[in-house]
Amino acid sequence: MSTSLWDACVAQLERELSPQQFNTWIRPLHAVTDASELRLLAPNRFVKDKIIDRFLSRISEILLGISDHPPSLRIEIGTAKTPLAPRVRELAPSSGGPEPTVLKNSSLNPTYTFDTFVEGKSNQLARAASLQIAENPGRAYNPLFVYGGVGLGKTHLIHAIGHEIVRSKPTAKVVYLHSERFVADMVKALQHNTIDEFKRHYRSVDALLIDDIQFFAGKERSQEEFFHTFNALLEGQQQVILTCDRYPKEVDGLEDRLKSRFGWGLTVMIEPPELETRVAILKNKAQQASIDLPDDVAFFIGKRIRSNIRELEGALRRVIANAQFTGRPITMEFAKDALRDLLALQDKLVTIENIQKTVAEYYKIRVADILSKRRNRSLARPRQLAMSLCKELTNHSLPEIGDAFGGRDHTTVIHACRKIGELRDADLRMSEDYANLLRVLST
Amino acid sequence: MTAPEQLPLGIRLDAATTFENFYPADNRDLVRVLQEGTEPLLYLWGAAGTGKSHLLQAACHAAVQRGDSVMYLPLRGDESLTPAVLEGLDNADVVCIDDVDSIARQTQWEEELFHLFNRVRDQRGRLYVTAKVSPTALEIQLSDLASRLAWGLTFQLQTLTDAQKIAALQLRAQRRGLELSGEVAGYLLKQLPRDMHHLFAMLDRLDQASLQQQRRLTIPFVKNWIKTV
Repeated sequence: MSTSLWDACVAQLERELSPQQFNTWIRPLHAVTDASELRLLAPNRFVKDKIIDRFLSRISEILLGISDHPPSLRIEIGTAKTPLAPRVRELAPSSGGPEPTVLKNSSLNPTYTFDTFVEGKSNQLARAASLQIAENPGRAYNPLFVYGGVGLGKTHLIHAIGHEIVRSKPTAKVVYLHSERFVADMVKALQHNTIDEFKRHYRSVDALLIDDIQFFAGKERSQEEFFHTFNALLEGQQQVILTCDRYPKEVDGLEDRLKSRFGWGLTVMIEPPELETRVAILKNKAQQASIDLPDDVAFFIGKRIRSNIRELEGALRRVIANAQFTGRPITMEFAKDALRDLLALQDKLVTIENIQKTVAEYYKIRVADILSKRRNRSLARPRQLAMSLCKELTNHSLPEIGDAFGGRDHTTVIHACRKIGELRDADLRMSEDYANLLRVLST
Repeated sequence: MTAPEQLPLGIRLDAATTFENFYPADNRDLVRVLQEGTEPLLYLWGAAGTGKSHLLQAACHAAVQRGDSVMYLPLRGDESLTPAVLEGLDNADVVCIDDVDSIARQTQWEEELFHLFNRVRDQRGRLYVTAKVSPTALEIQLSDLASRLAWGLTFQLQTLTDAQKIAALQLRAQRRGLELSGEVAGYLLKQLPRDMHHLFAMLDRLDQASLQQQRRLTIPFVKNWIKTV
């Protein structure tokens, strides 16, 4: 018996099911075949139950149809993939070379180093503290607690510390993980009765880097376990580095004893980058991608996108991709064109969908009513008004507007605009409604 | 008119959601990026019927051909889904999540999707998502997730123009061995609801009708047929 039997079964299912069903439920299954058994591995319990519920009997039928001796069928949770990359940076094999091995299998992102971290007023202090800790782990400040809003570089900074620790001591065991991973590992260890191993693993590291500890909130058992791990590490002068989206005392659902311990070392904040730093980040990123980004374009993007570095990078990625597609150099005009959609939406949120939603809310009806075929006046008027606002506020063509309203013809849109125009002149209430909605949508 | 349901056609493969069966219109660059399959994070957005789901499924198809493992998960339309469905998906090389906007404002979904995002990234996997609106207009409450979705390469899929809709219908027809003139395609566009999901579903049914009645697709034939559906 070989996987070809399963392949044939898959081919048959592909013919029978809708592409969506096939891609969602059948495609992710991995088949493992033994002598007389076909084991199907589903990524999780949900998928497994779904398969048993909806598809298993059909799969058996198909197998029976194409094989004289169909294998017995079993469905389990699992993956055919090689086990997860170890999250501990493995020691260099004893090749004797002075160079530390490439950070393969490491939990540290190779691009997040101090070299690629752009310093600015907003992160100066955090960076300086990080450098000190990297030079003297476990002794300078313990723990280091880095907090600040999303997408400001917290993760980058703590990875940089990890890299630096490993660079000066290649045998150092540095573990980075997201708080959710800690929780998941602990739950798994409890299930499999391997909690001692779990403890040993996390207490054997030279530096433990845990991201986004606000997600410990409300998870008491994990906090308990983490509390003991934390104490053990501090006692052993092993470095603990934590990030959070807010000041430790402000995290709801976190035990007080943890909150107070988090403040024992050094707590530093990263603030949103100011314009100069945003521009420097863009230039730096472009350079890493070997792209020539003119200053005026960098300033243009930096000025328009202020919220966080991820969005800044998203915008830059868009510009670079367009340059690569078209082979054209990056100029102001080019960048404006590439970012048209992103920037327009930052300014004003006027889309057809938003207009439909706003009008529906205003008249206390559902968007589905606006899109429906129903013609009673209590629905038709709001629908016409919404169409008319779309014509006024967006750049969509009449056919596009018609399409967006349940696939109506463009002549229907013309009629709606005309009708609303007339009513606004004749009917005071309609004229008020129109003015109100216009104000809500365009400010 | 009856709803455009999925019919158990024996000729599914011609309608398979592959790149060959996709009319790229103004989205050639996106198709190329998806075919290459090396971008770590893609965010596709556009109105219904612009081809988002088709493209995601085509990306899965192409990834499987390359030997990658894939996961495709549409979040809209299946009431039975719970956030538990996201567990372990990061074991796939390519994870495609359709309609992320439909879980906006649902705390548990948002949080689990955020964790999935981090796990996929830790595993150096690729994550492709779609939504009806741009990342900045997405009503995700968990800012950690919202900022991550804005991080990748973003593409907007434009609604097709009439000429493009006709071309898309003709491509679909041609892939099924059905001859559809521009004139007849234009006629369908005028007579039927104009969203592409509906138009494609109707084309499928028209194909069956033409097979059954052994007739070519002419305007009189189509006109009569429309009266019966």
